[in-house]
Amino acid sequence: MLRKPKNEVKDDAELDDFGRFSEPALLILVSLAEEPRHGYSMTEDIEAVAGVRLGPGTLYGALARLEARGLIEPLKSEDRRNPYRLTALGTRALRARLDSMMAVARTGQRRLASA
Amino acid sequence: MNWLLRLYPARWRERYGEEFAAVLASQRASVGLVLDVFAGAIDAHLHPQIQQSRAEQISSKSTQGEDTMTLAMLTRCASGGPKLSPSERRIAFRLSILSALVIAALYMVLTKIYRQAPAVQAVYWTSIFFPNFIYQQTVYLKKRLWLTQAIVLGAGLSGMYLFMLTVCELGSKL
Repeated sequence: MLRKPKNEVKDDAELDDFGRFSEPALLILVSLAEEPRHGYSMTEDIEAVAGVRLGPGTLYGALARLEARGLIEPLKSEDRRNPYRLTALGTRALRARLDSMMAVARTGQRRLASA
Repeated sequence: MNWLLRLYPARWRERYGEEFAAVLASQRASVGLVLDVFAGAIDAHLHPQIQQSRAEQISSKSTQGEDTMTLAMLTRCASGGPKLSPSERRIAFRLSILSALVIAALYMVLTKIYRQAPAVQAVYWTSIFFPNFIYQQTVYLKKRLWLTQAIVLGAGLSGMYLFMLTVCELGSKL
């Protein structure tokens, strides 16, 4: 049974209730973990990292949710391509979710090895 | 392909329209792309609250009575409720602080001269609401004529002072 510290559970829960936008939201957070990016740059980076090209409908559905939850924030921009960056809450939520995924992956690998 | 943007709610277009169009223009037209935008537009219509900022969500929840009055006040005082530009927020914040200092100084001067007279006590009790009244000028009344602002604030503050004065006068006679 996998157990997480209480505060980690809380941060991890920030990414709950995203429905079909759950995976795109995670990919966006991973993309922004490196540096602030605008929409086009995010789609390029996510395609390079995960091999998935997000459509604009999916991308902005997830972006709007992440922004509404305070996990990302827009930066001021001169042109119409608005860059976004991770907030402190977004960084914690991403870290908690990745830790959780790594714990599951480690358990899966261990069980496969012993099977 | 920009016509697809019209499928989204006006408020959504206002917030994300330009950057969305930039991303849309960068992608090759396909049935999948059109379906993705359609699905996104339906989602935007079904979940309008997602287009609200965090502060707006807190504010709207507060007005529905789901949060405490304290949280509502904090949200308002942090300029999170009404739509304000960063410079307006700074002005509102500075005005609140400045007005609190001014009324505190006035109270101290009046106390020094008139001691604890009911009229001075009424200033004390009115001062609690004074920064909030001043704050309204830059928030809820910001697009009104200065005369309207003066009348609303003057009438509000005068009414509050007279009420407090009556209470203090009655209290001193008990």
